[in-house]
Amino acid sequence: MREVLEVFPGAQRALFRKYHIGGCSSCGFSPDETLAQVCARNGNLSVDEVLSQIQSSHEQDAKILISPKELAELLRGDKSVKLVDVRSREEFEAVRIENSVLLSQPVMQQLMSSGSNSEPIIVIDHAGKNGLDAAAYFIGHGLQNVRCLRGGIDAWAREVDPKMRRYRIG
Amino acid sequence: MNDDLQKRIQQALANPQNLGELADADAVGTVGNSDCGEMLRMWVKFKQQDGKKVIDRATFQSFGCETAIAVASLATELIRGKTAQEALALKTEELAGELGPLPPMKIHCAQLVEGALRSALEPEKIQEKKPQTSAGPTLLENFSRPKDGVKIEFLE
Repeated sequence: MREVLEVFPGAQRALFRKYHIGGCSSCGFSPDETLAQVCARNGNLSVDEVLSQIQSSHEQDAKILISPKELAELLRGDKSVKLVDVRSREEFEAVRIENSVLLSQPVMQQLMSSGSNSEPIIVIDHAGKNGLDAAAYFIGHGLQNVRCLRGGIDAWAREVDPKMRRYRIG
Repeated sequence: MNDDLQKRIQQALANPQNLGELADADAVGTVGNSDCGEMLRMWVKFKQQDGKKVIDRATFQSFGCETAIAVASLATELIRGKTAQEALALKTEELAGELGPLPPMKIHCAQLVEGALRSALEPEKIQEKKPQTSAGPTLLENFSRPKDGVKIEFLE
């Protein structure tokens, strides 16, 4: 799996979205396992089918992304949008998008128990590094309308809200 | 997830059976953990019937998705009156009962219920089945690993 992830960085997200593999310690895999071994111990999944999912992982990731300007437009028209911030508390307290919530265990459980809830959820990270993983995690748990802010809150500050202070982690 | 399955899940959730702790249970099994957003605990109480030890009642608590709750509700009804061996012989898809076939991304919900049942009825085998290899980084770790002591430097 180590080589698979090197060639297809979005492979783990694709595996979790479709097959619930690799999301947490209960369904994780070892870097030393082969794809065939992972498929075999997950209900004998077809290796060819799984490989096809992995090969399209980049396109699948791209579909989840929402640009800062698209999000600004969405927020103007839809008050049900839930903004979930996956950064640290320090970052969240320093700068945040209005009405966003910091991901915590209670927020996580609330999201999970909302099941097939189709209200939009937008994941926000700092610069687009971890948000896709979080979005894939929620989608893999059956949430149907999850997207990730492309470029994170840093892109939001650059493209939508120039008054928002940009930062780096020291 | 298709609309038909969603309707069946909602029907099961409208009146979930056997929800909550069973105070005088003979066995308890837990799978998952709340950090993952998914945990299911099952309590089982036995009784003697026709010379056999059968499941009198099973209950559950879940921090998890709707599908896991729906499957647990149906499964705890399904295993009532069965011996431990008969309950353990049920396949994952049988535990989902009238929900019917689950899509790949939802099979783990039924597996969660199956795991809790196995953990309650044959805990020694659960220990044996723990993976021998260390798992690699997971999605959850990637986005939720502790971020204590983060130092922020504002850009000019």
